[in-house]
Amino acid sequence: MSLWVDKYRPTSLAKLDYHKEQASHLRKLVQGGDFPHLLVHGPSGAGKKTRVMCVLRELYGSGVEKLRIEHNNFTTPSNKKLEVVSISSNYHIEVNPSDVGIYDRVVIQEMIKNVAQVNQLDSSSQKDFKVVVLTEVDRLSRDAQHALRRTMEKYMATCRLILVCNSTSKVIPAIRSRCLGVRVAAPSQDEITQVLHSICKKEGLNLPGELAKRIAEKSHGNLRRAILMCEACRVQQYPFSADQEVSEPDWEVFLRDTATMIVQEQSPRRLLEVRGRLYELLSHCIPADVIIKGLLQELLSNCDGELKTEVVQSAAHFEHRLQNGQKAIYHLEAFVARFMAIYKRFLEEGIADLF
Amino acid sequence: MEDDLFDLEYADELDALEDVEPDSNPTPKSRRSLQFATPSSKNKNRQDDLDSSTLSLQQSQSPKNTLNNTICSESEDEETDGLSAPRADKNSDNGGQQKKKRSAWETDILDSAADDFFDSLPDLEPQSKRARSSQPDDVEQDRNNGGIPGFHRTRERNHVRRRNNEPESLDDYQLRLLEGYDLERRRVLRSVPPGDYVSATSYEGRRVYMKVKDKQKFEQEIDSVSDRVRQADLLTTPITVMKEQLEDERRRQVLHEAEELSARVRRELAEDESGREVNKDTGEHNNSRPGALWVEKYAPRTYTDLLSEEAINRTLLHWLKQWDYVVFGKDLPMVKNKKKGKEATNNKWKKFQPEVSSELDGYNRPVQKVVLLCGPPGLGKTTLAHIVATHAGYNVVEMNASDDRSVDVFKNKIEAATQMKAVMGADPRPNCLVIDEIDGAPQAAVNVLLNILKRPEGGGNKKKKEGDILLRPVICICNDQYAPALRQLRQQALVMTFPPTEPSRLASRLSEVVRREQLKADLNTLLALCERTDNDIRSCLNTLQFVRQKQVELTLRSVQTMSVGQKDAHKSLFSVWREIFTMPRPKRNRFVSIYDLMEGKADSLHLNAASPTARFQHILTLTQATGEYERVIQGLFENYLQAKSKDPHLVGLNLASEWLCFVDELSHYTAHTQDYSVMKYVPFLPVTFHLLYAAYVPPRISFPHVQFEVQQAHMKITNLLTSLQADMTPGVRKFVDIRNLTLDLLPPLLDILQPTLRPVNTQLYSSREKEDLSHLVHIMINYNMTYRQERSPEGQYTYVLDPNVEEVVRFSGTKQRKQLTYGAKQLIAREIELERMRRNEAANVNFSSSQKSTAVVPNHKQTLEAKAIVEDKPRVNYFAGFTRTKREKQNVQKEDKQEKEKEEKNVLDTIIWFHFKEGYSNAVRRNVRIQDLM
Repeated sequence: MSLWVDKYRPTSLAKLDYHKEQASHLRKLVQGGDFPHLLVHGPSGAGKKTRVMCVLRELYGSGVEKLRIEHNNFTTPSNKKLEVVSISSNYHIEVNPSDVGIYDRVVIQEMIKNVAQVNQLDSSSQKDFKVVVLTEVDRLSRDAQHALRRTMEKYMATCRLILVCNSTSKVIPAIRSRCLGVRVAAPSQDEITQVLHSICKKEGLNLPGELAKRIAEKSHGNLRRAILMCEACRVQQYPFSADQEVSEPDWEVFLRDTATMIVQEQSPRRLLEVRGRLYELLSHCIPADVIIKGLLQELLSNCDGELKTEVVQSAAHFEHRLQNGQKAIYHLEAFVARFMAIYKRFLEEGIADLF
Repeated sequence: MEDDLFDLEYADELDALEDVEPDSNPTPKSRRSLQFATPSSKNKNRQDDLDSSTLSLQQSQSPKNTLNNTICSESEDEETDGLSAPRADKNSDNGGQQKKKRSAWETDILDSAADDFFDSLPDLEPQSKRARSSQPDDVEQDRNNGGIPGFHRTRERNHVRRRNNEPESLDDYQLRLLEGYDLERRRVLRSVPPGDYVSATSYEGRRVYMKVKDKQKFEQEIDSVSDRVRQADLLTTPITVMKEQLEDERRRQVLHEAEELSARVRRELAEDESGREVNKDTGEHNNSRPGALWVEKYAPRTYTDLLSEEAINRTLLHWLKQWDYVVFGKDLPMVKNKKKGKEATNNKWKKFQPEVSSELDGYNRPVQKVVLLCGPPGLGKTTLAHIVATHAGYNVVEMNASDDRSVDVFKNKIEAATQMKAVMGADPRPNCLVIDEIDGAPQAAVNVLLNILKRPEGGGNKKKKEGDILLRPVICICNDQYAPALRQLRQQALVMTFPPTEPSRLASRLSEVVRREQLKADLNTLLALCERTDNDIRSCLNTLQFVRQKQVELTLRSVQTMSVGQKDAHKSLFSVWREIFTMPRPKRNRFVSIYDLMEGKADSLHLNAASPTARFQHILTLTQATGEYERVIQGLFENYLQAKSKDPHLVGLNLASEWLCFVDELSHYTAHTQDYSVMKYVPFLPVTFHLLYAAYVPPRISFPHVQFEVQQAHMKITNLLTSLQADMTPGVRKFVDIRNLTLDLLPPLLDILQPTLRPVNTQLYSSREKEDLSHLVHIMINYNMTYRQERSPEGQYTYVLDPNVEEVVRFSGTKQRKQLTYGAKQLIAREIELERMRRNEAANVNFSSSQKSTAVVPNHKQTLEAKAIVEDKPRVNYFAGFTRTKREKQNVQKEDKQEKEKEEKNVLDTIIWFHFKEGYSNAVRRNVRIQDLM
C-alpha cells in the first residue's frame, strides 16, 4: 500500500521488465560464486538501485529486504562530529558518503573497514562476504576515491562493493578498473509504456495506449517519473481519456518559460530578469547541470542548424567550467549571455539579408 | 647636566643679560652705569647666592658669556667690570659698611678683605654653601682657566684707561685690589695660625682665626701698587699698548660686522617666532623642543584656527552650549533666547548637518546626550572636540584606545569624568568627556555608556536618581560609524559626519606652515600634496616635516614620486563600487602624471586621471587596497547589468561574464588546493568592469544580498528535504535521494496527494473511495507527511502539509494547483493519526503478545465490572423442563461458587484491601468545622 513506484518495484532478477539479458548475466554472476565488485551506472530513473536490490536478493534471499536505518557517528581528525545514515540489512549496508561533503573520506575509511573486518557469521549457509553499497560515487571527493581503492583490494575476502553512480566520468580510472561495470540504460519508450500497462492492469485500470505513450514521452526515459505521472493522472481523473492532460513538474515549466524569455529579448535588462529566475531554480535545489541542460534543449529548438553547433559548444564550455567552479550562477549567466550574443548576431544577420 | 641645572637656576639673569646685549652701548661709561642701576631688585635674590661666588664663577654662567669673552674683548671687559661692581657694593653692604667709606679705599682694604674672608668661609651661611656645593667644579675650573687671564687683560685695559686720564671709578680700584689678592690662599682659618692673629666668633659659636699682616708688609704692598700706578713713560701711551689698541680696533670692527649679521638673522627668527606666538600660546615651549612633530606644533589652538567645516564646528559648539544650563546653571530663558536667535541664522549651514534639536529633557539636558563624530583619519576630529570643549569652558577628559577599556575601567572612568570635578587649582572647570576611537571599544564597554545614557529621566524618584544621571556632555569620536559595537549608540547620539577638508583651505594653511619652517614650496605643490593624501591634514604635515629633514624645497615632482604621505586608506565597499562604475572626469591639469614623465612623453602632459592607463592603475590599487575581493565582485555582479553601456552586440556582456567565470574558477582552485598564488589575478576583474561599464552617471548601487538570500532559501529547502527523508520508512527511503525528490518524485507526488474526496462523512464513502483514502493515507505515512493545522495571521485556520514540500515544488509564475478543501485536509489528517495509532498498536501487540501475562491485576487497578445477574430463584415450571432448570441452576451455582472463591482468593492475595459495607456507618462520619482546619 504505497505509491505505485514502490508497490510494483520488481524484487528479483527474474521479475525485471527490461534489460532482461543483463539480468540473466547478473544471475549467472551470482550463481557462479565469483562475485566481483560492481560499478552500476546509468541515468536516473533507469532502475539501478532496483537492480542492485535484486542482485542482493539473489545473493542472500529475502533477508535483505528487512531493512533498518542506522545512524553512524564518526569523528574526523579535526574533531568534527559527523553523522551518516546507513540503510542496512544483515547482509549488506548502503551508504551515501557524499552526504557529509568533504569528509567523505573518513566515512569510507571507517565504515567500510568496520564492515569488512567482520566476517559473516554463518558462512556455511551464506555467502562468505558482505556487500557494501555506495551510492552517488561520482560525487565522492578525490581523496575518498583514493581511500576506496586500496580498501577494495584488501578486504576482497570479506566484502564486496557495489558502487552506484550516474556517470563514470567522475570516477577515477583506478576504481573503474577494479569493478565490473554494469550500465543500466534508460528504458526505451516502448518499455516504459509496457511497464505502465502492466501496472495499470494489476491495479485494475484501463490505460489508453495513447496516454501511456504521451506519459512515456514526457518522462524522458525516466521510469520512476513515468510511473509517478501515471499515478498522478489516475488521481486527477480516473476513467482515463486519451487526450488527458499530463501534468509536468513545475520546474520544467519554469525552465521552459525562462528559455522563451531569453529568445524573446536579448539585453542586459532581460539577462537580469533571467538571473532572478535562475536563482529561483537554484534555490529550489535544482542542480545546475540539469538547468543548463534543460535550457539548452529549449533554446536549441529555436535555433537554426548552423547555430546549433555553436550553441551546444558554448553550453559544453560553460558546463565544464561549472564543474570547476563554485558559484553556479556565474556560469549559467555566462551561458545565457553567450547565447544572447550568438542569437542576436544571428537575428541581425537575418535582417540584413532581407534587405 | 650641571650646566643645565645652572642654566635653569640663573635663567632670569641670562635673560637679563640677553636683553641688555643687543643694544650694546659703544661708550663703556654709560654701560657701566646701566649695570649699576640694574642690580637692585633682581639681584637682590641672587646676592645671597653670589655672596661667595667669585668673578670667575660668574663668567662661567652661560656659554654666551664665555663666547662674548672670547670674541668681543670690549664687551668682556665691560662685563667683568660690571660684574665686579655690584660685588663691591654688596661686599660693603655685607660688612655693614657705609658707602661713603668707599672713597678712601686704602683704609678700606682691611675691611673688605675681612668681608672676603667671611665670604669664603664655607660654613657660615647656608646659602653660600648651597651655591658652592652645586658648582664647586666649575668654580675650580674657571679659576684655573678663564678667570685669571681675564683679570690680567682687564688690568691692562685699566692701565690704558688710566693713561688716557680717564677718571677711575670705584670698581677699578676694587679690581686693582683684587689683583694683588691671592685667591688661592685661605684667609680664614679654623686653627690658630702662627704669628699674629685675630679671632672671631660667629653667632653660631664657631671660632675662626685670621692672620694679621704686620704694618710694614702692608705698606710695602701699598707702595708696590702705587708704584705701578705712577710709572712714568715718554709716550703718553706705550707703543705696545698702541699696537694692541689698533689690533683691538680692527678685531672689534670685524666682530661688530659679524655680530650685526648674526643679530639680523636672530631678529628675523625672533620675528617669526613672535608671529607664531600670536597663534599659539606655547611658542617658547616648541622652541625648546626642535624635534616636536609639526602636527603638534601647528595644531590649532583656538576655535578660529580650526580647519574643519564651519558647519560642523558650529553644530558641535551649539550642542555643547545646550548643556550650559545643566553644567553652569546659566539662565534658561536667556539660553533659549540665544538659541532662537542662533536657530534663525543657522539655517543656511544646517543643510549639511543633522538638526540639533533645541528641546531639553526633564533635566534640561539636550535630548541627545552624546555626539558621535565620525570621519576618516586626519581631518581633525580629536582636535575639534578638544578645542570646542575648551572654548565652551570645559575641562577636557580624554579616553582613547590606549587606555584600558574593559567594562569596569570604562565605567569608573565615565562616572569619574561625568560626576566629579577638579577641586584643586585656580580654575576648577567642569569636565567634558571625549571618548576617542570608540569604534575599537568592546561592545560591553559601549553598553556601559549606553546604560548611563538611558538612565531614567524625570519621574517620581527624581531625587534618588539625581546622582546617577549623566550631567556632563560626552563626545565620542570614531572612524567607522557603522561598527557593530556602535549600532545602538548611533541611535542615541547626534551623529556628525566629517566632510573632507577643503583642499584650498588646507593648502593655504600648509603654505603658512611651510613659510615658517623655511621650506620652499608653492601653492600648487601643496595642493598636489593635499590631493595625494586625500586632504588628510596629519599626513600632509608629517610629509612636509619629513621632507624638511632632508631638503629645503618641495617640488611638484617630488610630491608625485613620493611614497610617504600616502595612507592605505580603507574605503568602504560602496565607495569602491561607485568608483568602479564611475568614469573619472578629466580634471584641469594641475600637475604632470608621473607615468608620462617616466615614459618621457613631454607632449602627453594633458593626459590625466581620465586616461585609460591611469584608470587602470587607479582601480587596480583601489581593489587591492580593499582586500575583500569576494564582496567587491559580488557587488559588481549584482549591479553591472544595471550599468549603462553601449554594447549592441553584447560583447562587453560576454567579456564580463567570462571574467566572472574565470574568477570563480580561480577562487575554487584556491580553496581546493590552498594555493593562493592565483589570487593575484582576481583584482583585474574590477578593472575590466570599470573599463567596460564606467559612466559619468553611475547606476544606483545596491548592496549585494541576493546571493545570501538565495543561499538561505536553498538552505531552508535542503533542510526541509532532509527532514522529510529522515523519517521515511526504510524501504521507501532506500530509493530516494534529494535529487530524485526534487526532480522526479515530489512534483507528481503532490498531485497524487490530492484526490477528489467527496465532502461527506467517511462512513458514506463507497468501498472504492475508502480504498483511495486509505491508499492516500498510507502514502503520506510512508513519505513522512501529514497535514498540520496552522493559524494564519488573519485568524483563520488552515491545514498545511508538514513538511511543506509545496515550497519545494512551487515556482513563481506557474499555475496554481488545486487545493484540497479544509474539510478534506482535516479528514486526511485525522485518518493519518488513526492509521499511525493503529500501526503503533499493531507493533505493540506484536511485541506484547509474545509475553502474555497471567499475573493478577492488583486490587487498586481493578475496575468495577458488571456482574452477571444470577437468578437465585429457580424458575418454577410445573409442567416441563423441571430437570433442565435444575441443571441450569446447578451450573450457575457452580460457576458462582468458583467465581466467588476466585475473587476471595484474589482479594486476599493483595496487600491492601478495603471492604465496602453497604449501609450507614458512623465510623467515617465526623463533623469538621472550618476552625479546625484553620
